[in-house]
Amino acid sequence: MSGRVIVITSGKGGVGKTTTNANIGTALAKAGKKVVMIDTDLGLRNLDLLLGLENRIVYTIVDVVEERCKLKQALVKDKKNPNLCLLAAAQTRDKSAVTQEQLKDICEQLQKDFDFILVDCPAGIEQGFQNAVAGASEAIVVTTPEMSAVRDADRIIGLLEAKEEIKSYKLLINRVRPNLIKSNDMMSVDDVVEILSADLIGIIPEDTGIITSTNKGEPIVNDEKSLAGKAYNNVARRIIGEDVPFLNLEEPQGVMAKIKKFFSGLTGKEK
Amino acid sequence: MILANLYNKVLGFFRQTENEAVESSKDTACNRLRVVLMQDRTNLTPELMERMRGELVELLSKYVEMDKDALELNLEQDGDQVALMLSIPVIRAKDEDEIKEALEAAEAKESEETSEEDDTNEEESEEETEDSSEDHENDSEENSKETSEKEENNENSDKKSSSKKEEK
Repeated sequence: MSGRVIVITSGKGGVGKTTTNANIGTALAKAGKKVVMIDTDLGLRNLDLLLGLENRIVYTIVDVVEERCKLKQALVKDKKNPNLCLLAAAQTRDKSAVTQEQLKDICEQLQKDFDFILVDCPAGIEQGFQNAVAGASEAIVVTTPEMSAVRDADRIIGLLEAKEEIKSYKLLINRVRPNLIKSNDMMSVDDVVEILSADLIGIIPEDTGIITSTNKGEPIVNDEKSLAGKAYNNVARRIIGEDVPFLNLEEPQGVMAKIKKFFSGLTGKEK
Repeated sequence: MILANLYNKVLGFFRQTENEAVESSKDTACNRLRVVLMQDRTNLTPELMERMRGELVELLSKYVEMDKDALELNLEQDGDQVALMLSIPVIRAKDEDEIKEALEAAEAKESEETSEEDDTNEEESEEETEDSSEDHENDSEENSKETSEKEENNENSDKKSSSKKEEK
């Protein structure tokens, strides 16, 4: 078995790299794939929190590199899905504790046992980014429809294109707000795709459920009703190779909702 | 009451569509982003663009008489490729003697100044200037009397090459 190594990166911080990682990883595992996630954000680890695994971490990636434990010992199994593992970042060390070569080596070892290795990249374009990208052959660039995030994504795409090991990269647009797009107060998905001229792999709507799911340490793909969860599930299916149409976010939820909205608008004005 | 509200709603709807001519914040964002990304990708700062513009004016005035202040030079994105758009309002085509004279004057000036050429820091902008001016030479030889002409130069910096340049 030779698994696919996908790095999830963005340049800008706070656009949802780690959330994307946790959800795509969980969705792939639910689809029956063997998945390992590597948190390379040394010193600022968070992937464990989003998965609710923070209390189970014994060894970290730095322990593996410094040979205090075997690679297999450091893999933390998910609470629900035995197909899903996490290799956590060290919280007490900085980015220089792991080199590009070491990360590449870890990825190569994991490729034998897993279908997917998802590498969570730190923000920025410095050493942390270079390390995270070192072992990967595919990339998902996460951005939001905001100027600063798009600009940083463009920079990241430029850097990825210069790397021979990266065979393909795809764009994931996060925190899309259909209402703002409709009123022309936010760049649309088409605008962002056109400006970055990159292939799209996912459109994730802004969803308050993300906050509560983070609070609980439970990725939102486990919530069947959530639109963001559905969108992340679709991303996972596209990664596997299925042809899944993008969700139409602008469509109103239902006829009843539309009628309700209309009447609340009328009565609201009367007051 | 409800009818009046409905009437207002319908009116409001039409007003909204009328107002769409005004640039929305989304369009502002898109336009600003395009400009800034073009600068990021090509390493051409506004100062360098201004310099390129100045050099182009100097070079092209040898061949045509043009409105120097109205010359427009912009980077535009066309799909994957970055194009250098040059718009030059031509006032009058120069006749052969005038062109010869200007060329000779320029050559004489050049031989005087060979010692003092700038350092090679801005190689890139100079490259692009050369390319676009070559294209333009052909046009002016045809003595076209259009007041404005647009010219596209797709050869140089597509995204990949610009990102590779960045790496250096």
